[in-house]
Amino acid sequence: MTFAQIALRNLARNRRRTALSLLLIGAGSVALLLTAGFIRYSFNGLREAIVHGGLGHLEVAPAQDLQASPLERSTFPSFAEWEQTRAQIESVPHVLAAEGAIRLTGLVSRGDRTVAVMGLGVEPARERRMAFEVKLRAGSYLPETAPAEGEDVVVLGLGLARALGAQPGDLVTFTALTADSTLNAYDMTVVGLISTGVQDLDARFLKTHLTSAQRLLGTGSVSSLLIGLDDTARTQELAALVRARIAGGGQALAVADWESRATFYGQVKALYSGIFWFLGGIVFVLVCLATSNTLLMTILERVREIGTLLALGTSRGQVAAIVILEALWLGLIGAVLGDVVGFGLASAINAAHVKMPPPPGAASGIDLGLVLAPSDFVLVGGLMLVVLSLAAALPVLRALRLRIVEALGHV
Amino acid sequence: MTAPSHPLFQAEALRKSYQLGAARIEALRGVDLVVRRGEFVVVAGPSGSGKTTLFNLLGCLDEPEAGRVVLDGVDLASSSQADKTLIRRRKLGFVFQSFNLIPVLSAYENVEYPLWIDGVAAGERRRRTREALASVGLGDRMKHRPDQLSGGERQRVSLARALVHDPLVILADEPTANLDSKTGAAIVDLLARMNAERGTTFLFATHDPSIIERAPRTVRLRDGEVISDQTRGPR
Repeated sequence: MTFAQIALRNLARNRRRTALSLLLIGAGSVALLLTAGFIRYSFNGLREAIVHGGLGHLEVAPAQDLQASPLERSTFPSFAEWEQTRAQIESVPHVLAAEGAIRLTGLVSRGDRTVAVMGLGVEPARERRMAFEVKLRAGSYLPETAPAEGEDVVVLGLGLARALGAQPGDLVTFTALTADSTLNAYDMTVVGLISTGVQDLDARFLKTHLTSAQRLLGTGSVSSLLIGLDDTARTQELAALVRARIAGGGQALAVADWESRATFYGQVKALYSGIFWFLGGIVFVLVCLATSNTLLMTILERVREIGTLLALGTSRGQVAAIVILEALWLGLIGAVLGDVVGFGLASAINAAHVKMPPPPGAASGIDLGLVLAPSDFVLVGGLMLVVLSLAAALPVLRALRLRIVEALGHV
Repeated sequence: MTAPSHPLFQAEALRKSYQLGAARIEALRGVDLVVRRGEFVVVAGPSGSGKTTLFNLLGCLDEPEAGRVVLDGVDLASSSQADKTLIRRRKLGFVFQSFNLIPVLSAYENVEYPLWIDGVAAGERRRRTREALASVGLGDRMKHRPDQLSGGERQRVSLARALVHDPLVILADEPTANLDSKTGAAIVDLLARMNAERGTTFLFATHDPSIIERAPRTVRLRDGEVISDQTRGPR
């Protein structure tokens, strides 16, 4: 005989009421699990979209440039020793590739239409090695080999192409400031139309080959090296390795991970986390109030029995332990049921491939997916045990305040 | 029934009152009582005479407003609540009118309970529990839950529970009131046998004349006062 056994048997006395309590706790657990699963899926999806959308896992750039705020960053490429540095970085295990990139700003014209743009000069061969995703909507992507002078090509964001009235095969003129502050203009052939996934960005974004960008700006430098890894989870570990590998070079360099550069991801994560804890708070309060009421009813029905236990020499602490154990059993069984049902539902939803409408600002819809980690089950189970412990507080106080003689005389 | 020896209970000038609506009810008005080891004392009186209140004070279940109770040389007024819990656990046994068995425990577990909460080793617990149940004739009903037992059987389980830890005294508050006369008489016979064979001290509250008639010592209460204390010679 143990107090845990007695508590469990007490729960079995009124099976319907216990079942209702378990249903409530289980439903709360399922709600939290599915929310956590959806949030994790969204985080993972957003993370990979950001990393493979062109940000890379790591960025190496001149320290004064990388450590400055986005508005203070140099608009002109200043990373001169990038090729030697790249060789060092690409020798680090788990690094897929390091791509030289140039951030571009300027004006693109076609006929009488001119649009202010921002863009990137990239190395398509290395983008492919890093599994960067290109959402090609028309034409083809940039060629992997560097174009000869006079044969420069460009891919335009869908919105930008629309604004310019450009299609693949059309010629546009890209005008930008060179290092000596003179204007330079290059004719480039549009080979494809792309989407970044963000409508506002599509309206003013373009990409060209790194060689074309360097020619346009009259420089051999790049803005930074974008590094792709074979596992996002190892980002911090490999950032430290890369830092060690490039230390001591002629140019002071800094390494930044993707999360520190993806302010949008941080904002989304903070928002979703807030939503999760808000929902968790509501579930917490609902389950706490309902189960506290149920536990209180069971105490009121057993007043004389509790009086008997006290008369037989059971301490008040032991009586409290029985009530708390009843609550913990409810929480444990309810959470396990919720975990099992939640896992089943998550699997079913994933298998159904439900399509969700595009999020605000996004260009395309997303799959509804749920990613559950073992820690979610532990977290939800732990949360339910905390809720039930709190729910037991009032019933325990009620039991502790009973006067033995009055309890024994209770009808 | 065995010959009484040393004082076990000494109750002196016990007073207790209750508020009932606007009225103040004087349940005990200065009760004196001495109970010696091995005695079988019947406390008799009509409903409202103060029997249960007296048992509550003697059983460390309630506090007197005035007067004192000395149990086995210990003044209960100087005992903490924790001490009283231990006194109830180790020195007292209770038999209630409504049996008060724990419904989720089997007959065996109900009887085992006082030993279990006192931390008695499992082997010893098993031996004493089986002995206690056998002594009340329920050796074959150990696995039954209270709702599977008759009223008489339940009261015998209750008696085994009160006896199992070998208490100094058993307080039985109208233990036959909810039983038919035949079953009630069998329970009284059982208590008398325990008193005779084991020397267990019994305080037995009742207003049943057939039980009062058999009692070696009868203390009569009326309106919260002892109106007589009679001891019969052995029959």
